[in-house]
Amino acid sequence: MLVRRCPWRSIQLRLHQLWRPRQIHTREAIHDKRWPGWQVIIGIEVHAQIKSRRKLFSESFTSRPGETPNTTVSAFDSAFPGTLPTLNPKCVELAVRTALALNSKVHYHSAFDRKHYFYSDLPAGYQITQRYSPLASGGYIKLSKGDVSVGITQIQLEQDTAKSTFDGLRRTSLIDLNRAGSGLMEIVSEPDMRSPEEAAHYVRTLQAVLRCVGSSDGNMEQGSFRCDVNVSVNKHGQPHGTRCEIKNLNSVKFMMIAITSEVFRHIELLESGRSVPQDTRGFDENKAETFKLRSKADSPDYRYMPDPNIPPLLISEEYLETIRKTMPDLPDATLARLLNLGLSERDADVLMAVDSGREVGFDGELGKDAVTYFDSLAQQRDPRVVVNWMTHELIGQLTARKETFSDNPVSVEQLGELIDMVQDSKITGTSGKLLLKHIIANRSSSAPSVLAQELSLEAVSEDDNTSTRAWCVEAIEALPDEAEAVRRGNLRVLNKLVGKVMQLSRGRADAQNARVVLEDVLRR
Amino acid sequence: MHRLARVYPYRSRAGCRARSFATSHSRHSAIIHTEHAQSLNESTNALVSFPTKNHNPNPHGPLSNLTVAIKDNICTIHLPTTCSSGMLRHFTSPFDATAVELLKAGGASIIGKANCDEFGMGSLNVNSIHGPVVNPYHSPNEKSIPWAERERRSAGGSSGGSAAAVAAGMCDAALGTDTGGSIRLPASYCGITGLKPSYGLISRWGVVSFADSLDCVGVLGKSVDTVKTVFESISSYDPKDPTAATPHTRERAKASAESLLSTLDADLSDPDLSSLRIGIPQEYFPSELNTTIVTAVRKVLERLSSLGAQLIPVSLPSTPYALSAYYVIASAEASSNLARYDGVQYGTRFPLLPGADKSKPGNVYAHTRSAGFGAEVQKRILLGTYALTADAFDNYFLQAQRVRQRIKTDFDSAFRIPNAQLSNPSPNPDGVDVILHPSAIRTAPRLDSDAVSGLGPYLQDVMAVPASLAGLPTVSVPAGLAADGWPIGVSVVGQWGSDELVMCIGKVIERTSDEDDGPMADAIFGFDDVICGLDAAT
Repeated sequence: MLVRRCPWRSIQLRLHQLWRPRQIHTREAIHDKRWPGWQVIIGIEVHAQIKSRRKLFSESFTSRPGETPNTTVSAFDSAFPGTLPTLNPKCVELAVRTALALNSKVHYHSAFDRKHYFYSDLPAGYQITQRYSPLASGGYIKLSKGDVSVGITQIQLEQDTAKSTFDGLRRTSLIDLNRAGSGLMEIVSEPDMRSPEEAAHYVRTLQAVLRCVGSSDGNMEQGSFRCDVNVSVNKHGQPHGTRCEIKNLNSVKFMMIAITSEVFRHIELLESGRSVPQDTRGFDENKAETFKLRSKADSPDYRYMPDPNIPPLLISEEYLETIRKTMPDLPDATLARLLNLGLSERDADVLMAVDSGREVGFDGELGKDAVTYFDSLAQQRDPRVVVNWMTHELIGQLTARKETFSDNPVSVEQLGELIDMVQDSKITGTSGKLLLKHIIANRSSSAPSVLAQELSLEAVSEDDNTSTRAWCVEAIEALPDEAEAVRRGNLRVLNKLVGKVMQLSRGRADAQNARVVLEDVLRR
Repeated sequence: MHRLARVYPYRSRAGCRARSFATSHSRHSAIIHTEHAQSLNESTNALVSFPTKNHNPNPHGPLSNLTVAIKDNICTIHLPTTCSSGMLRHFTSPFDATAVELLKAGGASIIGKANCDEFGMGSLNVNSIHGPVVNPYHSPNEKSIPWAERERRSAGGSSGGSAAAVAAGMCDAALGTDTGGSIRLPASYCGITGLKPSYGLISRWGVVSFADSLDCVGVLGKSVDTVKTVFESISSYDPKDPTAATPHTRERAKASAESLLSTLDADLSDPDLSSLRIGIPQEYFPSELNTTIVTAVRKVLERLSSLGAQLIPVSLPSTPYALSAYYVIASAEASSNLARYDGVQYGTRFPLLPGADKSKPGNVYAHTRSAGFGAEVQKRILLGTYALTADAFDNYFLQAQRVRQRIKTDFDSAFRIPNAQLSNPSPNPDGVDVILHPSAIRTAPRLDSDAVSGLGPYLQDVMAVPASLAGLPTVSVPAGLAADGWPIGVSVVGQWGSDELVMCIGKVIERTSDEDDGPMADAIFGFDDVICGLDAAT
């Protein structure tokens, strides 16, 4: 790692790549009724905050939304003289997971560069990023809807900036350094999207992938997932038009509105015989239109320079293999596996839907996840029985209590034993449900077998007809009219009497057996 | 006042320089010492801040007999770290640099912060808000003049304060930093020993960056032994410095130099150097070189040769490009590193004049940066900024990196010891073990001469920058006097990680010069005159 290599060779290579004209992707022309005759080309640059416990180059913790300003800041984050960066390997791991999930080629050698500009939210006067040799390049993502695949250009690691807010009342800018130096993944797509809807699908699919591999919250509203969108329009069959970049869109909805308004703006310009200037634009949410931030001519020269402090990031094939083996499955792979186990698509969807909303843990630690829970339960058990208990009973009861799966107090061992007891007729299904409810309500950690005894929920064995007979007699006494009807031959009413027996036995009686005993008693 | 001299017996004759300081003087009161240092300081301007009380956390540590000054661009928690810049005039760091932490842990007494060129940019220590450092050397030609009224010459830079503090006897050793000669040049001008270690051996955590890929913390001291003691106590792997050499690389380098070192015993009066191959680089004897310096270097070589060392001419053909490459790389990195001094988070902020245009943030930044940085720093920021612009990047920055690579290759093909940083170095049995050259092209210039302005100061670095670009260890040791009666230094350059070897050869040179130049060496530390000067002042 510490062999300091002269990075200029890779820089030169990269410079040539940057200047190479963009490859034009051929896709069947899409005719959109909103803009007949026009083709829309969209590429998206995403900045996703890495969900690491600590920042990219310092020991300080990353901050959560709502954290007291300037409390998670180290001397390095505020660019104090004499401080030096130390790369956080957890951030690398999460970015590598992302790259693998996006079928991207992780480079064995990548490096860090400095991007310079003066702004109060950038304490060092430069941002550490990966301009010349990014962590990974190439790759694609299959969108969840339609048969569309979006190419990934590259994935790079970089620092987040601080946050500045303008206090209009005091006419002062306030700076919160909590975010300064947090790790970001910049994920650049190829210009492969053709409509605002596809752009939205891309963003949603990417969010799901990041959450799935635990690399980011992917939360646009809270700013952990920020999009810059490049839009251009051209007549069908013509080369791509001039693109404009719309910066800092903070919801999928606004992104779609911004793209649509930008498309119409370009078409209007072109149809009136003018050309589209290459601008960087902002989006006004109230007016639902974009506005000019700066033109290409005023675009700053960032004076990129290889960072002289951070040694090149060397990644071995063994490291990649370890990550590949230990990282969570992607949604597609999980679905295929679950269906293979004999689950219905509906059940698989329910399990996976539970997980898509779960909280992403720090440093890629995944929170309690329903699929893993299911996998442990289904070892040596019938997957279909297990998934029924999970989706209908466990998740059902949690939902009824307005709790999420992360609140689930039932251990895999508890639910496993419970299912086994029901399967072995040690308790009835009804008792099993009651027991589960008890465990959830009391946050009990006792074994279900112990609890069944305590609560007298053990099933009455078929041989022990004394108890069943006593409950049947009691039921007939309680429902004399129904008993009479059965005696007269109306067997459908028998179910009501069986129900009464179950009620009296608190579910311990076997319904089939109770039916036999009832018929026997009534015939006498 | 003569009593004071006896309180400071370590201000012994230069003939005893090689003797360990630990045995040559007894423990003394730090407070009295500070007073003494302050009075010496009036005539040198070497130190810029002093501790109010001496809190030594480890009074019985291995360095407890050692007094040390710290260059003012190395962070200290108890003393300001101004970098001699208006920008950091009132700055005190919230932490100690790792090197300082290690010195404290060893029990060293820190006597103050040493003047330097602003952010380490300069070769003469004249670019400083604290004013220039005056070389404490008292030339034998001026014996009749009191020390305080001696000829005012530069102490060299940028670690001029560190060198002057040691040379004036205010402390045993000083930490400096060397980016392109900033330790070796002042050591040479002041007649003391200065070590720029291999890049990455001493942690840079807490060292205010000038050019990260070149900056090295190093040690200036009265003798090679002192320098070695300090160096060994601060040269350890620090995970907080991402460019620190790993224990593995250190071991590799050590192992490579081991067999040669075991044959050399610098402590002997006549060490056998027959296994040593010394390279003499033809490119390091340019026409600008003062002829009496050549004579002094020749004398050193003759002595080494008489001890059995083989002198071998070597060529480092990329040397002529080194200075240009150095100024492009160092300035580019400096323009980046100094971007943080904007008056927003810390440091000095110069309020805008009423009515100034605040609509562009750039105006606000420019105001503080124009007022806070000195002229030399601004010049280099501008040069570096230009070298990094998209249009110039390839022709300047990348070109300079190519030159740097060539310089490294030059050295690697000259040395017999393989470069421990390379995974597969090719063996070079015909190579040399060390390279020897004059430390500077001249003796210390007068502070009021033309040499301190124009291109002069930049040329001072011409001998020093190749080793900086290649990250190699170099020690500059005194090697007699030039015709003007001022000290000359010679530099011993080694392969990366051969720090012990270069100090060992440095020590041999030190011992042999002592033998030859006994009376002259007295003059370098013309101590009685110093005391007379103080008497006159009080």
